[in-house]
Amino acid sequence: MTLLRLISFQYVRKHKLRWLLTLAGIVLGVAVFVGMHTANQSVLRAFHQTIDRIAGATQLQVSAGEAGFPEEALEIVQNSPDVRIAVPVIEASVNPGRGNLLLLGVDMTGDRSLRDYDLENNNDDAIDDPLVFLAQPDSLLVTRIFANAYGLKIGDKLPMSTMAGPRDFVVRGIMQSGGLASAFGGNLAVMDIYAAQKMLGRGRRFDRIDIAVREGVRVEQAQERLRKLLGGGYLVESPGARGQQFESTAQIYSLVSSITSMFALFVGMFLIYNTFEIAVSQRRSEIGILRALGATRRQIRTLFLGESVVAGLVGSLLGIGFGLLLARGIAAYVGAMLSEVYGVAQNVEDVAAEPWLLAAAITVGTLTSVLAALIPARDASRVDPVKALQKGKLQLIGQGENMRRRIGAIALFALAVGCMSMSHIRPLFYLGYLLAVMSAVLFAPTACNWVTRTLRPFLKWLRPVEGALAADSLIESPRRTSGTVTALMLSLALVIALGGIARSSYKSIQDWLVIALNPDLFVTTNETLTSRSFVFPPEIGEGIATIAGVDLVQMVRTVRINVRNTPVMLVCTDIASVARKAHLPPREGNPDTLYNEVAQGKGVIVSDNFALLRKFKLGDVLELPAPDGTLRMPILGIVTDYSDQQGSILMDRKVYIEHWKDTAVNVFRVYLDKPSFEPAVRARIQEMYGGRTRLFVFTNQDLRAYILKLTDQWFGLTYVQIAVAVLVAILGIVNTLTVSISDRKRELGVLQAVGGLRSQIRGTIWMEALAIGFTGLVLGFVVGAIQLYYTLEISRTDVAGLRLDYQYPVNIALVLVPVILGAAWISALGPAESAVRGSLVEALEYE
Amino acid sequence: MIQLQQVSKRFDGKRVVTALDAVDLSIAKGEMVSLVGASGSGKSTMLNLIGGLDTPSSGQITIDGERLSGLADDDLTRVRRDKIGFIFQFFNLLPTLTCIENVALPLHLRGWTRKKAEARSRELLDLVKLGHRMDHQPDELSGGERQRVAIARALSINPPILLGDEPTGNLDSGTGAEILNLIHDVHRTMGSTILIVTHDRGVAESCQRTVRLKDGRIIGDERRSSAA
Ligand SMILES: Nc1ncnc2c1ncn2[C@@H]1O[C@H](COP(=O)(O)OP(=O)(O)OP(=O)(O)O)[C@@H](O)[C@H]1O
Ligand SMILES: [Mg+2]
Repeated sequence: MTLLRLISFQYVRKHKLRWLLTLAGIVLGVAVFVGMHTANQSVLRAFHQTIDRIAGATQLQVSAGEAGFPEEALEIVQNSPDVRIAVPVIEASVNPGRGNLLLLGVDMTGDRSLRDYDLENNNDDAIDDPLVFLAQPDSLLVTRIFANAYGLKIGDKLPMSTMAGPRDFVVRGIMQSGGLASAFGGNLAVMDIYAAQKMLGRGRRFDRIDIAVREGVRVEQAQERLRKLLGGGYLVESPGARGQQFESTAQIYSLVSSITSMFALFVGMFLIYNTFEIAVSQRRSEIGILRALGATRRQIRTLFLGESVVAGLVGSLLGIGFGLLLARGIAAYVGAMLSEVYGVAQNVEDVAAEPWLLAAAITVGTLTSVLAALIPARDASRVDPVKALQKGKLQLIGQGENMRRRIGAIALFALAVGCMSMSHIRPLFYLGYLLAVMSAVLFAPTACNWVTRTLRPFLKWLRPVEGALAADSLIESPRRTSGTVTALMLSLALVIALGGIARSSYKSIQDWLVIALNPDLFVTTNETLTSRSFVFPPEIGEGIATIAGVDLVQMVRTVRINVRNTPVMLVCTDIASVARKAHLPPREGNPDTLYNEVAQGKGVIVSDNFALLRKFKLGDVLELPAPDGTLRMPILGIVTDYSDQQGSILMDRKVYIEHWKDTAVNVFRVYLDKPSFEPAVRARIQEMYGGRTRLFVFTNQDLRAYILKLTDQWFGLTYVQIAVAVLVAILGIVNTLTVSISDRKRELGVLQAVGGLRSQIRGTIWMEALAIGFTGLVLGFVVGAIQLYYTLEISRTDVAGLRLDYQYPVNIALVLVPVILGAAWISALGPAESAVRGSLVEALEYE
Repeated sequence: MIQLQQVSKRFDGKRVVTALDAVDLSIAKGEMVSLVGASGSGKSTMLNLIGGLDTPSSGQITIDGERLSGLADDDLTRVRRDKIGFIFQFFNLLPTLTCIENVALPLHLRGWTRKKAEARSRELLDLVKLGHRMDHQPDELSGGERQRVAIARALSINPPILLGDEPTGNLDSGTGAEILNLIHDVHRTMGSTILIVTHDRGVAESCQRTVRLKDGRIIGDERRSSAA
């Protein structure tokens, strides 16, 4: 401890900047780890909270997927002897102008036995008096938070667009904060259920029935009996169960976050390793003196490990700070996506990490740092005091160690290949992935040496003195460089992998858009295409079909249903007309009979990603929960379809209406006689319906742009990763060069003494930096090819079910060359200046 | 050839050290001068100033008619590389380069073509009798051989001035004598102006002229005609 304070503290103080840069490695890894996991957890927590708060005293809930169910079901439930209270609910997320609002449609007369509305000023008259709330369909209860945000008082009007056109709603009561009113971050409004049906275009359907059981009846018993009563199409569950399936999806994101943060920590580990290796070589004489003064090897090792613990702790703490900031951004994204999939709105208002996560982050960060310092600490403990005190050339990586490393790399690689051949066993697949990465890491120093040796003649040819010296500097001190090169290699490999995914998914999706999504106009209820809160009645489609110039209107109903406990998108439309209009050959299934049979209701078509993710084959029978009982349908065809990340099932609209008794429509796909009619038809649709309902018209181009924008997220991620790679390159190279210059002080001094100009000294350092960058690029490109393979596999089988072609992102690789070399050059500027500024006399002196 | 007028060098640290104190010295073309004095008397400091590795705190240094003060770093380097060859006590060869590459270093830095630089280096290595060790690296050579490579390097650009800071200081007496002979040969055949710092009385006395320093001042300047 005293040693740590006396020796290390001084060193750290002298090399403040370097230590900060090194910590960046740990900070990065821990930040990604904390950020992603905290975001996931916060979203889950918010989700559960919303469910709990809205549930109130509800003990059981009856639902039937997103499409809801006809009103008759309520009567059946209410007549059950087990049920004390049963009230209908409609729940939807709408946007009245400033962000999302969770809209709850309830039957106020019965609902208050389950939920406490807790109105301000005990103004319960508003809901007690049937003439005030119920009799006026424009009545609205809002929360205090919402009222403040919109500046609303009792009696004020809030305009909202509804399926019956724009309407003004009147605030009749304000709920006090807390309890129900704090669900969804307080962005909650309550209206009468019949008003909600009108507003959202839901017809005579409910989303849910909330139930309290009769006294003396066990909840499980009631649940069992209600299930029998309602049939397989209905879900009867406790409110908490709603949150559970949500968690399985969240786990996938958890997997992705784990892999990403592991990579970040790995990169960080090499930055730390590099710094420690450098610290050991720089402090050799100091270590020698300590040893000469009687320090044991063990004490020396402890000294360095102690430093690594401190570095790890500081880095982890900083990382947690950044991670929590990062979590806010990620939470918004994950939350939006999960709400869309599960139809439960939630609002992540407090992003907070759980204590165990923070403890895990500190442990992981510190462990990474200690792990990185193990070899340098051992090297330090092995410093020979005699040799250390008479300065000389140092060559730290022994030949033997290099050999062992190479053999290890080859062995790991062989194991990785072995695992790859058994990749149907998922744990083995991931083990193989890990082994492949480890093998690359072990092999990196050797490969680095090869590349620099190959580079030497070229550099020498370019500039006889500066070039040769730059290459020699790298070849002679592998320890100085290999950490930096490895870190750079790993982060570039990630860029290549992400870029590869972005590139092939972009291409596949674009192809699919052109062939399959070819209607001229899309008419929807929402400006965002994913929201399904509002629905159209089919009559509007019939009306549009009568417009001159319209060839065909396809009515599309999309609802989430649960298949094998996972939410899937059911897409229902006129299959015969799809077969006529979109000429996308199925991946599997008989193209001649397929569409006919599906149109006749003999089966369904599923998307490729659904089949891959849920492991279904052609001919398998799907069990679909419909309100009138479980519907069994064989898979007659598998098609490429990217419309939903969770997978989609295509069914004929007639079949859907027959079993779901739901004629609502989400989108009208409009085909025109001639593309040039587009503006006229569009104007006509607006003219006919614009003032009477909620309606948005998109052209084919709008829609494509919208969908491709979503896939741009992948590109966005690639750019972030490029930025990280640049950062790693700069950190690593600055570090390496700083040490290289101090190690080569004498050499550079001689160079100047025998007539080297400043520009020539700078030149050699620049070339060294460029050589490091180049080597990192070469290794990164090779490892990236492997990384891309694994990433595609993971995204195909475990995450998205996307069957993407292996396409090396040559364009991104080409962009990386100037970017990384530029970063290398910039990193060299500072060190090069300090090299030419130093005192020549001092550089030439021996001691 | 070399002229110092009132040259002082102070090192401002915690305590101001005056390493050279208003020194006047003039060395003519073709002279071979030894610089002696106790440790810390300012010998190396003087040599570094003359070689343009360092700049004086005050005073004027003139090398072959060029005044060093006021020159920018790159110009100083140019003077150095055109006029001065250095021989160091610890050789200061670059360990990763072969002998011939070490000798060719100053030539490459001047932008000589590969061919010309190599031919010239060969010639010089032959001159210092190391023609057979061209492609060896410095750590494969003995101390004396290394110093001969260093001399060849110093001579490569044919400098009018040769500066040596204890060139024999790190060698045994026999090898030291060899190197001294080599330097005398160079002096004779090329007519260079030579200034060497030494602690070795024999080396000092073999020179035509010996300048003695003490505490940064010249306390003796003796010429002998007997020397070769
Ligand atoms: N960079 C420096 N900072 C402070 N003082 C210095 C520096 N370099 C030299 N000195 C001081 O200047 C004086 C002259 O040093 P110099 O190296 O010229 O002596 P020297 O005659 O070469 O000695 P030696 O025979 O031991 O090599 C000494 O007192 C030394 O401590
Ligand atoms: Mg000296």
